[in-house]
Amino acid sequence: MRLWHWLTRRSQEDQELDEEVRFHLAEETRLRISRGEAPDSAARSAQRDFGNVTRTKEIAREAWAWSALDRLRQDLRFSIRMLAKSPAFTALALTALALGIGATTSVYSIVNSVLLRPLPFPKPGRLVMVWETQPLTGQPNVVQTGNFLEWRKRNRSFESMAAIQAFPVNLEGSGEAVQVPGLGVTAGFFETLGVPPLLGRTIGPEEDRSAAPGTVVLSYGFWQRQFGGRADAIGRHVTIFGQIREVIGVMPPGFHLPAEPRIDVYFPMQISPDQARRDGRNDSVVARLRPSVSLGDADGEMRGIAAQTAQERPDINTGWSATVVPLLEQTVGKTRITLLVVWSVAGMVLLIACANVANLLLMRAAKRRREMNVRAALGAGRWRLLHQLLTESMLLAVAGGLLGFVLACWGVPAILRLLPTDFPLPRRDEIAVDRTALWFTTLVSLACGVFASLFPAVQVDRGHLNDGLRYGGRHGTASGSRLRSGLVVAEVALAMLLVIGSGLMVRSFILLCQVNPGFQPSHLVSFRMLLMASGRDFPQILRVRASLVQQMLEQIRSLPGVRAASSIHLMPLSGQQSGTSYSRADRPAPPPAQGGGDVSVISDGYFRTMGIPLLSGREFDQRDRPGSPPVAVINQTLARVAFPGENPIGKRMRVAWGFSPDPVEIVGVAADIHHNGLETAPDPCLFLPNAQQPSGFLTLVVRTNGDPNMIPAIQQRIHKVNPAQGIAEVRSMESVVAADTAKPALETSVLSIFGFLALGLACVGIYAVVSYSVEQRVREMGIRLALGATPHSILGRILRERLFLALIGIGAGLVAALALTRYLATLLYTVRPTDPPVYAAVTSILVAAALAGCFFPARRATRVDPAMVLREE
Amino acid sequence: MDDRIELLQGTLDMLILRTLRPGAQHGHGIGVAIRASSQDVLQVEHGSLYPALHRLRKEGLIEGEWKLSENKQRARYYRLTAKGRKKLAAEESRWNRMVEAIARVLKPA
Repeated sequence: MRLWHWLTRRSQEDQELDEEVRFHLAEETRLRISRGEAPDSAARSAQRDFGNVTRTKEIAREAWAWSALDRLRQDLRFSIRMLAKSPAFTALALTALALGIGATTSVYSIVNSVLLRPLPFPKPGRLVMVWETQPLTGQPNVVQTGNFLEWRKRNRSFESMAAIQAFPVNLEGSGEAVQVPGLGVTAGFFETLGVPPLLGRTIGPEEDRSAAPGTVVLSYGFWQRQFGGRADAIGRHVTIFGQIREVIGVMPPGFHLPAEPRIDVYFPMQISPDQARRDGRNDSVVARLRPSVSLGDADGEMRGIAAQTAQERPDINTGWSATVVPLLEQTVGKTRITLLVVWSVAGMVLLIACANVANLLLMRAAKRRREMNVRAALGAGRWRLLHQLLTESMLLAVAGGLLGFVLACWGVPAILRLLPTDFPLPRRDEIAVDRTALWFTTLVSLACGVFASLFPAVQVDRGHLNDGLRYGGRHGTASGSRLRSGLVVAEVALAMLLVIGSGLMVRSFILLCQVNPGFQPSHLVSFRMLLMASGRDFPQILRVRASLVQQMLEQIRSLPGVRAASSIHLMPLSGQQSGTSYSRADRPAPPPAQGGGDVSVISDGYFRTMGIPLLSGREFDQRDRPGSPPVAVINQTLARVAFPGENPIGKRMRVAWGFSPDPVEIVGVAADIHHNGLETAPDPCLFLPNAQQPSGFLTLVVRTNGDPNMIPAIQQRIHKVNPAQGIAEVRSMESVVAADTAKPALETSVLSIFGFLALGLACVGIYAVVSYSVEQRVREMGIRLALGATPHSILGRILRERLFLALIGIGAGLVAALALTRYLATLLYTVRPTDPPVYAAVTSILVAAALAGCFFPARRATRVDPAMVLREE
Repeated sequence: MDDRIELLQGTLDMLILRTLRPGAQHGHGIGVAIRASSQDVLQVEHGSLYPALHRLRKEGLIEGEWKLSENKQRARYYRLTAKGRKKLAAEESRWNRMVEAIARVLKPA
């Protein structure tokens, strides 16, 4: 309202000033006539005596404070008119800026949500994970339960500490049994994270006693799905693993440990002293530092405690130590480098876009040189001209920023939707294009506006006014063309760098896709579950496990359409694998914690089902029963490492696994597979028969004839054996293999998109600059043609001059690539960051692109009509 | 013609205020009055009057009112405000002291 009032008053003042000036001129004319001057000469004299009317009005207007805003309004109107007058220029500049800003904002939103924003817990900086570290390698490792209890008892560094272990839990009740993601936690888990329950209570020491009645805390999502969000869910009962448990609490929406975003139920681990001693390394440990304790102090104390436990239990702890890692760092992990690479690449694309816009503005400024100079000569201040340039560039940048922000708002959720659900992107549910991103976009847009107007402004500022007037603006000055050339060189260099980066990623990805996983994934379906087996004592549970698996496999194999079926305890490419120490029984035992490798527990027919070639010997079959001589199959790598130049069949190995101290006899050697990911070289692996070493973790693998209806039929057979047995996950092995390459696929496509964007923008830059210089030199070309130069020689001349620029850019890009692509090294598979074929290919692509960018505008120069040019002179 | 002097920076304001002391006047009248009372010695580009008038008006030293001129045309008449009178008095005494000082420098006794 106030502004309106102000603006109307402003226009009234304007009218009044006009009227005053009109009155003045009329009065002066009258005065002069009354003195005897002729009327028309009197009017002229009055005008002359008054001076520059427009200038006067401008100065008078400036006496009022509104003139700054007024000037801005004028400049804006003028800018919009100028931009509307050259739609091609405007569209090009806007597209470049929108793409650049959109890309940068999108990546920034993700970087901000994943890397920068604190985790959603109170005082998240005090939260850490504590790991054991492996002997020799020092790699972090999950924690042995007994060690955790000792840590919790002895440490002085932490306010609280809790062990957790994730596995599917079997949920029985109405309808078919299912398995949902569950997390076993010790007392203090929720207090460590500092999040109170939404309803009821959490798991305290009372619930965590080994003999306490079963209790469970629900996630918000599970509570909504299973109990319809009713408050009376507290005190109700659910049957988990055949045990009736009371619901004691519900967590608020959005609560989860970053590493375990899909947990549905939390239940007390209820560690018994016996279990603590017997357990393997299975637990993760989360802890909260005391306020005064630093990360380094805590790490030191934990290493001290680990040294004590190593002395107390040398059988399992020799060589093991401990380490403390901040929770955020743990969560973000390797994603940090990927995100930072992608972010800097997006930033470079934006720089190229800016350079492009600067170049376009520069050329327009040169075309408008005459206009600018005339305005300057007529008294427009230099500041006013700079102001006008800045307004125009800011207008473009803000509009581009707006478009870019819209692009990001639409693009980020679209990208996230495209990602498979198990894509390894931490804190995915927290990613949003939010107000911080808007701030970021605003800042970036303003910076772009300033940056893009900087170069043209410098040129206006040098203000060779007379030149401009004299030559009528047909000649760019040398300094202007140097600036434009510099910008083009920079653009080409950046584009070269980015295209080399994407070239490396593409080559690496192609190589990765050619990696043979070692098994035949087509028509292979997997069913993951935690086995429901109960019994009086542990040996009986083991027997039940073995027989359940055998029955399920027999049921499935009898289905028509099933070619083969078997099981493995942890599926290849699932990101999980067991390991233990093992060594040749005919040699002295190595020191504890040395030697060994992966262990897989499989059923008979596994290699045939998976399509893994057996190199020698046999696979497990009916002969390998509980009580029969213990046997093992080894993979090629283990055969090479442990039995170089020997035939391993019939040899024996000591294996620290399960409950039998007897060495196992090797009955077969299987080809290697990439169990731990296509990028990872196969580790030594020892296979044990499930019949002799029954495992609670189970993945059934079934090779079918490809009929999709097989899956419900198979599930039916599983439930026929044990109706209470839920299934945690059903996946085709093809999707498992695809998921393994999902991350490099995304990295490759993002970098390629950015690379091509950069290449396109650089080509536009080259094209624009060459077009402009050709246009500027039409006269020169015309004269040359008139003096007898052939069109061919003229074309050659322009191409040589301009290609030289592109070559400088390409050279600079090559140097930059050699220096910078090593940051890509962690994302590359087998390709070195200095891969010569990629560099050669990209160089020729850029030369070709630069040639095309030069050729088409240059050809126009040869079509100049000399007669026309000379006439214009 | 050659005897005409361009106005010293900042003195135009004082001259305008002085011209308005006897009574209200419009812009053209002010210009004519300055020229006449200085016997055509002081050269005022008429155009420069208006920015000065607007500035003085904004500073509250003068106020404007639209009236009909002798020739029955609408014109804005400017009038000194109380603040303007005070300012004029201060400027005049400052000016006189400066003139005396300069005179003493140019013609030492």
